[in-house]
Amino acid sequence: MTLAIQLPQAGLRRYGSLLSPMAWGALAVAAVVVLLSLFAPVLAPYDPDYVDLNNVLAGPGGQHLLGTDALGRDLLSRLMHGGRTSLLGPTIVVIGSTVLGLLLGLVAGWSEGWLGKVLGRLFDLLFAFPALLMAMLAIALFGKGLFAPILAMTIAYVPYVARLAQSLVVAERSRPYVQAYRVLGFRTPWVVLGRVLPNLIPTVGAQSTLNFGYVLADLAALSFIGLGVQPPTSDWGAMIEESRGALLGGYILPAFWPALVVVLVVVAVNVIGEELSDRIGGKLS
Amino acid sequence: MSQLLQIENFTLGFPGRPPLLDSVSLHVNDGEAVALVGESGSGKSLTTRAALGLFPGGSESSGLVSVQGLDTLTASKQRLMELRRRHASMIFQDPRAGINPVRTVGDFLTETLLRFDGLSRSEATERAVKQLEQVGLRRAKELMDQHPHQLSGGMLQRVMIAAALLNSPDLLLCDEPTTALDVTTQAGIVNILREEQQARGMGMLFITHDLNLAASLCERVYVLRRGEVVEHGPTRTVFLTPEQDYTRQLVEATPVIESGAASASPAAPGPDSAVAPLLKVSGLSKTYQLPRGEIITALDAADFSLPEGGSLGIVGESGSGKSTLARLVVALETATSGELTLRDVPRPRRPLNASERKTLAKDVQIVFQDPYLSLDPRIPVGNAVADVFRLHQKQGRKEAKDSARNLLGRVGIGAERIDALPRALSGGQRQRVALAKALAARPRLLVLDEATSALDVSVQAQVLELVEELRDQLGLTILFVTHDLAVVSRLCSEVLVMHQGRIVEQGPTARILEDPGDDYTRNLIASRPRPLWDAEPVTA
Amino acid sequence: MTATDHVQAPAPAPGAPSRRREKGQAARPAMYIAKKVLALVVTLFVASLAVFFSRFLVPGDPARFLLRGRSPKPEALEEITRQFGLDKPAWEQYLNWLGGILQGDWGRSLTYRQDVSDVLLGRLPTTLQLVALAAVFITVLGLFAGIVASLNKGFGDRFILITLTAAGAVPPFVAAIALVALFSVGLGWFPSFGSGDGGWDRIWHLTLPALALGITYIAMVARVTRSSMNEQLLREHVEVATSRGLTRGSVVARHVLRNAMGPILTVSGVLVAGLLVSSAIIERTFGLSGIGQLLVQSIDRLDFGVVQAIVMVVVAAFVLVNTVVDLVQPLIDPRIAAGTESR
Repeated sequence: MTLAIQLPQAGLRRYGSLLSPMAWGALAVAAVVVLLSLFAPVLAPYDPDYVDLNNVLAGPGGQHLLGTDALGRDLLSRLMHGGRTSLLGPTIVVIGSTVLGLLLGLVAGWSEGWLGKVLGRLFDLLFAFPALLMAMLAIALFGKGLFAPILAMTIAYVPYVARLAQSLVVAERSRPYVQAYRVLGFRTPWVVLGRVLPNLIPTVGAQSTLNFGYVLADLAALSFIGLGVQPPTSDWGAMIEESRGALLGGYILPAFWPALVVVLVVVAVNVIGEELSDRIGGKLS
Repeated sequence: MSQLLQIENFTLGFPGRPPLLDSVSLHVNDGEAVALVGESGSGKSLTTRAALGLFPGGSESSGLVSVQGLDTLTASKQRLMELRRRHASMIFQDPRAGINPVRTVGDFLTETLLRFDGLSRSEATERAVKQLEQVGLRRAKELMDQHPHQLSGGMLQRVMIAAALLNSPDLLLCDEPTTALDVTTQAGIVNILREEQQARGMGMLFITHDLNLAASLCERVYVLRRGEVVEHGPTRTVFLTPEQDYTRQLVEATPVIESGAASASPAAPGPDSAVAPLLKVSGLSKTYQLPRGEIITALDAADFSLPEGGSLGIVGESGSGKSTLARLVVALETATSGELTLRDVPRPRRPLNASERKTLAKDVQIVFQDPYLSLDPRIPVGNAVADVFRLHQKQGRKEAKDSARNLLGRVGIGAERIDALPRALSGGQRQRVALAKALAARPRLLVLDEATSALDVSVQAQVLELVEELRDQLGLTILFVTHDLAVVSRLCSEVLVMHQGRIVEQGPTARILEDPGDDYTRNLIASRPRPLWDAEPVTA
Repeated sequence: MTATDHVQAPAPAPGAPSRRREKGQAARPAMYIAKKVLALVVTLFVASLAVFFSRFLVPGDPARFLLRGRSPKPEALEEITRQFGLDKPAWEQYLNWLGGILQGDWGRSLTYRQDVSDVLLGRLPTTLQLVALAAVFITVLGLFAGIVASLNKGFGDRFILITLTAAGAVPPFVAAIALVALFSVGLGWFPSFGSGDGGWDRIWHLTLPALALGITYIAMVARVTRSSMNEQLLREHVEVATSRGLTRGSVVARHVLRNAMGPILTVSGVLVAGLLVSSAIIERTFGLSGIGQLLVQSIDRLDFGVVQAIVMVVVAAFVLVNTVVDLVQPLIDPRIAAGTESR
């Protein structure tokens, strides 16, 4: 099964301990977006839902920094408030899938018998349900909104973490240092949780960082096709959907801003994730 | 005098770092076998590759590297390819990595013939088959259709040699061609190389870390250390009367069979002493079932005993079952049948539970082969040792740290390295830490599973010395698993020879080395390379 | 592979491959295929269980669940109970459903008042054409970018890598909007709606949707190609080939590309499933009536039978493609069937 990052490979050693300029840039972008969204109620210049029909599709600058949409709502304020919803979903999914995935991966990797095999098969099966499909099935069952897709995607992303954790544990377990712990008489829970788990966290963290970007994109896509968050709540995907009419009429900006933010955040997250995995690939070899 | 390969003042390095090769000069004449000897990181491989115009990406070099008058530093791509196709061939260290695993042996052999010699497929196949037979492979026609994974390492290295000889090169470069192989296999490969080199009158540059091997094959030798040639001359002169300190150290560190001088601790009782043995093994077997249902017997009815304070060497080649035996002793494996008794405690035939394991840990410990994987990469070495003190000696955090500092000092790791991560240490230092970790549990029996095999000879000598010292000070019982007879002869008073899962011979080391009773043991001893100057009459 | 079973099989003596080895070889490919096909059937079976019983996660009366958004008249409830066999035990309902699927009876759509299979079959060609065109873009552009990146160290590699990072971060729906804004609204080169009349017109209509659908996957395939090739380029057998005087072209074609194919093929399962699911978004954006569009509509109109059927189709496509890949892999790397190399 494909994972976004490769297992650590010898010979790809990276030197230096500072982040690359690109990673610094990515961190800065992520930080700005997160802070602006988090403090939207304080920082946003307008009420995001205030309709001003005298001022529709205004260009950027002047009273509205990024312009207004077809209903005259301030785009910057809507972006900031929408960010709260757009970032909340991926955060929950990534935390949930990482914790669950690590747990299952550890168990699957450490148990030599049937349990490991059964869990491995289960991960394989889960891979057959792409996250977006699982989310749509959940929406069909439990109705539109954020609850169903977040729950479904948490489950859908578990195998990505678990498979990685499992393969890492299997690799670690056969390493002499882990066998030495066994011969030295250390108890298995101490070895697994105290020694093996910390060695996995950087690599798994890198994978989860990448997952954040995918989840963000998928949830935005669901909102875009009207299956995700429902009005009056809005997020970046819903904003793009609302702006399609204006777009076909030649007004690009109302769709451009949210699209730009989505792409920027996903790029930033990917750059950070790749930097992490490169770094780990170098360090553990 | 025609110089086939001439290297003058060759310097190579990456910009902004100290050079990897510093003013290396050497030459190989037509029909001459020359050895290039050095430890890891000395730049042997870089030197040889330069002769084919293979340089690491981004490196800078100066000087002269000339093969039959062609300077590979300045030659055009076309001329270099011509050189590689017609005049010089190279044999690499690991044939399993060196032959494309997804293509057939025949494809590997014929690809140059079809492309450069304009042979038809059937002509090329015929040539390749002939060449395979010449290097001692039987049923060569069938081999042509097989994939590398279906062949043993020794067979693959013969394939590699056949490929190198196909274009009748004038210069043969060998980069540790037998290091990945067993001793008995190595002997066959060395014979072929010697025969072919003499029959064809090729010039040969033979890289190795093994002085004995160099002495058995080459008339002249260059000793390389950290990118510099420290000494060169006729092999016999250099090895018997070395002028440089480094060469002397190297010669002294190279293990030789010390028959009769096995340095067993004097207090060790003989095998037939009345003292109850520390370790007793009888009828011990271990079988594995492969996924396809095939059953492999890794260890077949092993019988032996090891008295308290004794030292037993277990010698065998890969697949002999020696590591399985070691892992059974430390309970990393469970026996299929038979008895294993350690300190009068019979070992249950099931995986041990946590408390049994903890008790066992005070009786037996193990040090593994690979110094790079045998320490936890994230834990500073001082803490790694202190953890063991806390577990087994019930010491507090601070006390354990002090104990760790003492013990590490004793194995030669200074206090300034106590907070270092394993990756900051050299291979030898890591094995010392691994040793300290094992000793912190205060075991009676210490199992060393090829614990010095991955180290350079000079480092290996130091670690072996340390083991001897610790054994005598702590009264340890030693079980030393190795492929190297010489190491055993130095450290162990008793030896046990294994072959294909069975113990073929056991007894006092001196007796077995001088008068082996089993054909396999005899073969093993005879396979060790002998210097050209005291070669026995060749019997084979 | 577990630690305790990690054994090195004893190597046979030089020149004498044992008989047992040869006998095993004849039986091995058949065993390998049988195993993979069995795994396919088992996976599909378990997946069908998951898809069918997902409905039971919803608390309350199943008949009312299935009739959400429609008038729960007693006769309607009665009809749905009869149609789905809701009064029967769960396992019997499942067996009937599975039996129906195997015989081509996928139930009836509540929205369209016709057989689900007819609805699906009518929509399938559009989606398949879309996915196929996207697959062509992905294969050609992805492989090309990956190969070029791995063979050109330095600026070329960095440039392509940065482009790929950016392209990989553009979700299909954003790509769709951007392409429409640029090529339809801006330049007017391609239509932004509908699927055309077949032939070249169809391809013309599907170009933008296929590109939008493929862009993240182009980046994915290119990255996998690049890293897989880079890994092979470091291998010793590549150096050996070079040392024998082979040209750079021969070395890459014979010893790098072929060996690098495994990981590239492995992503195709994920790729096909991803394309099918993402087509839901793309088809909706471009007004194409394929099964993706149908899936979204059916969720919208609470037509659960159709949703179940489409989920099953996508999962089956994934499992099938993966099985085909598994069966092809040994032809590329013979060690896989021999069981010495596990991926």
